[in-house]
Amino acid sequence: MAETVQLFVTCLIDSFFPQIGEAMVNVLNRAGVRVDFPSAQTCCGQPAFNAGLRSDARPLARHTIRVFEKTTGAIIIPSGSCAAMVQHSYLELFKDDPAWLARAGALAKRVYEFTEYLVDVRGVTELSACWPGKLTYHPSCHLLRGLGVDRQPRALLAAVKDAEIVELPECEDCCGFGGVFSVEHPELSAEFLKRKISNFEKTESPTLVVADTGCLMHIQGGLARQGKSQRVVHIAEVLNSL
Amino acid sequence: MSLKTFRNRICQSIADENLQLALDNNAQRRKDGRLAAFASLPDYPERRLRAHAVKADVVAHLDEYLSQFIARVTANGIQVHRAADAGEAIRIFLEIAEDLPRRAQSTQRGKGETFVPTCPRSLGVRDLRGETILVAKSKSMVSEEINFNHALEAAGFRVVETDLGEYIVQLRGERPSHIITPAVHLRRGDVGKLFEEKLGIPYTEHIPTLTNTARKVLREVFLTADIGVSGVNFGVVETGTLCIVTNEGNGRMCTTVPPVHVALMGIERLVPTFDDLALFLSLLPRSATGQKLSVYTSLINSPLPGQVRHLILLDNGRSALRNSPLAESLYCIRCGACLNACPVFRETGGHAYASIYPGPIGSVISCALVNPKFASLAQASSLCGACKEACPVDIDLPGMLLRVRSGLSPQSTPHPTRRVHRTRRVKNTQEGVGIPPPVKLGLKGFRLAAGTSGLFAVFQSLGGLLSRIYSPRRASMRLPAWTGWGYSKEFPRLAVRPFRARWGKIKQVVEEKSARPPESLKFSEPTTQPPHKPLSDQFAEELAALDGHAYLVSEQELPARLTEFLKSKSINRVLVDESGVPIGTEISTIREPDPTVRAGVTGALCGIAETGSLVLISGAGQTLTASLLPEVHVAVLKTSRLVPTLADALRRPEVQKAASGVIVTGPSRTADIEMTLTIGVHGPGELHVFLIDDSMTV
Repeated sequence: MAETVQLFVTCLIDSFFPQIGEAMVNVLNRAGVRVDFPSAQTCCGQPAFNAGLRSDARPLARHTIRVFEKTTGAIIIPSGSCAAMVQHSYLELFKDDPAWLARAGALAKRVYEFTEYLVDVRGVTELSACWPGKLTYHPSCHLLRGLGVDRQPRALLAAVKDAEIVELPECEDCCGFGGVFSVEHPELSAEFLKRKISNFEKTESPTLVVADTGCLMHIQGGLARQGKSQRVVHIAEVLNSL
Repeated sequence: MSLKTFRNRICQSIADENLQLALDNNAQRRKDGRLAAFASLPDYPERRLRAHAVKADVVAHLDEYLSQFIARVTANGIQVHRAADAGEAIRIFLEIAEDLPRRAQSTQRGKGETFVPTCPRSLGVRDLRGETILVAKSKSMVSEEINFNHALEAAGFRVVETDLGEYIVQLRGERPSHIITPAVHLRRGDVGKLFEEKLGIPYTEHIPTLTNTARKVLREVFLTADIGVSGVNFGVVETGTLCIVTNEGNGRMCTTVPPVHVALMGIERLVPTFDDLALFLSLLPRSATGQKLSVYTSLINSPLPGQVRHLILLDNGRSALRNSPLAESLYCIRCGACLNACPVFRETGGHAYASIYPGPIGSVISCALVNPKFASLAQASSLCGACKEACPVDIDLPGMLLRVRSGLSPQSTPHPTRRVHRTRRVKNTQEGVGIPPPVKLGLKGFRLAAGTSGLFAVFQSLGGLLSRIYSPRRASMRLPAWTGWGYSKEFPRLAVRPFRARWGKIKQVVEEKSARPPESLKFSEPTTQPPHKPLSDQFAEELAALDGHAYLVSEQELPARLTEFLKSKSINRVLVDESGVPIGTEISTIREPDPTVRAGVTGALCGIAETGSLVLISGAGQTLTASLLPEVHVAVLKTSRLVPTLADALRRPEVQKAASGVIVTGPSRTADIEMTLTIGVHGPGELHVFLIDDSMTV
């Protein structure tokens, strides 16, 4: 019997990159997992929380908790920062509200980032994916340092057929997204981005793989502005290519 | 500081190529240094968590620890003062200065802890009639926090910074741009020009020449200063010990040479026991400068004979921090690792922050310790978490930054001495402090739009439509630069059919895959312990890595070997301590410090194999000068006196009870100019250790 998981697709994938969501459903299916999508979901509240607007983040967090409380099974989030938000920051958000803290705690236990779920829970790394050519991986900050997820996406990529994985120089440096940071401190954000793109170019890989849509949108936006042809893809898209 | 001012300062930093080179250099070398240093500490992750727990305990029970500490320090003969804020700290200092023992008395001090000041006063740093009181200052962030130099100069004192980096920024009329490397924003040419202008030497970019020039000027300052001022890295509660770490030797000078020593310390800088001190000393230098130990780890318990010591314990907003959701920021040991790891600091340097505490930790504590207006600094972070990862005490810096952003920082109390920061009070008990109103409005709008899925779907469709009107052909939109995003990147169009609209059609074909463990992956294994090595070999290797030298000799051949060594350096007169090292008769020995003597010969209580360090304690008062003032330090130590670790050495009761002690780890050094290592600053430039092999006789 296939296990059923709940997809928290994130507002960025939902609104901007629905194809990543589809790729993720396909990959989970191939890993023997049935996916459900609670359609009342919206946003986890991270943008407001990270900006310090906790009163604005709480209603969205409560909404998310209510939506997923009605479901069972693991909750899969294809984004390190959103997963870290639900796993860790909800506990901070409700630290003075015992009733909601308990509900947030219960939810946090069910949450997995996409690659973490595949590798650590399902024990799958080989998904028959095939991607001819060079690939390089950018470990997103909240995925890497917030959740400690790094070997999982790397293991999944290592198993991709025909892919030559090139290590990204200074890969752990932030790309400069940081949510509201990218609009509030555009000059700093631009410097981080410049460094990230220049390191990406050193790999001579046409494709940068990420597991967080914020970084994807940011780095891809920088490449587009500079008129570069390289692409940034979500790891689900790589794993979905056969 | 308004966001606009802050952004202007950031832009200036980014445009400054010299600064960018200096900062890139700093980031890379400090990171490499830190990682290399921690490679020698296989249990680092556990130590880090233990350090966090120790600090959590100290901060939770600060009142009890403080009263115990104060009682011990007082019993040790040091006068303790408590200052609620900067104004009080300055007032206390001025009162101490009023009671200054006459210089004449100080030169009568029986034990001769210092040179009799016979050097020519050609540099004019002090009025002979004592009208201007000269303060020699070793590095102290607390003194920066309370604007110490400014306040004292206003009161007619002459204050000279003696750490090379601090001295450089003081000569430039600046403030430090980094809490460990104050002159990190400068390059050697800047220092060359500065010294040419201020010290009258010919322009040079030769770092050893620059360092030596500062050494000469500052040596004069040490010898004539009325008061030495230092910070404190750790106060040990169980013994009342003040621990101060420096590399150049200026900390030792400031705390031993002038007749009065005043230590400034934040109330949170306590560790309960000597074992805890060993733990923190294994973390601080590694995190700060990539050293296993700093060159000089001074352990001060009591005043030296004829000396007066004071300790000023400063609150200045720390109690308010402790009672706020930012209490964890008080675990900080001021190593600067978070600055070096921070990508924002790497672009801006310290001065852009305007607060004396820059970088991630500065963005958390400045609003409480310096000025409430600094709450807006917390906005300048991408929350990447590199700071937390680098922190040796595992402080959740991103978490703290988020709390500052949400208005949870305590209000600091403005006070009259803080002239530079006297600005309007900024209300920071509100959420989203420091965010520009349009961004705040946008986020609040988004919150409403995402309140229900129905409304969200409407806005998604609307967005999809509008983005196609805005950019009908290209998949990405070029937004104007004022939006922030449009400054350096394109924005994607919203999907016409978002995921939620596609969900109904997504067909699921579930393949059964048997769960199996992940393929064997190569993880970095913890480094295996090297085979057991004699302590003397390990000691000699560590010392050699620090540019020190060790020689294994027998007890019988020691006098001849020492004579031969000293003669090879044309030294025939040495300053000795009271350990009775047998020196051949061809070498004359003196007990009283003399500026012309080139070498000091000392014993040592013990040696530390893991760091190549010597532990020296003061006996009847003068032993420590022979290891500090001359240019060559020769130490004699039996191999049976070697201990494996720092913790072993600190457990020895002699160390805990000595009036003062110092752990010497290599020759005096600095890397304050362009991070370039220069050996020999205020302390000896050469360190030679004769190890008497007594392994056979034990």
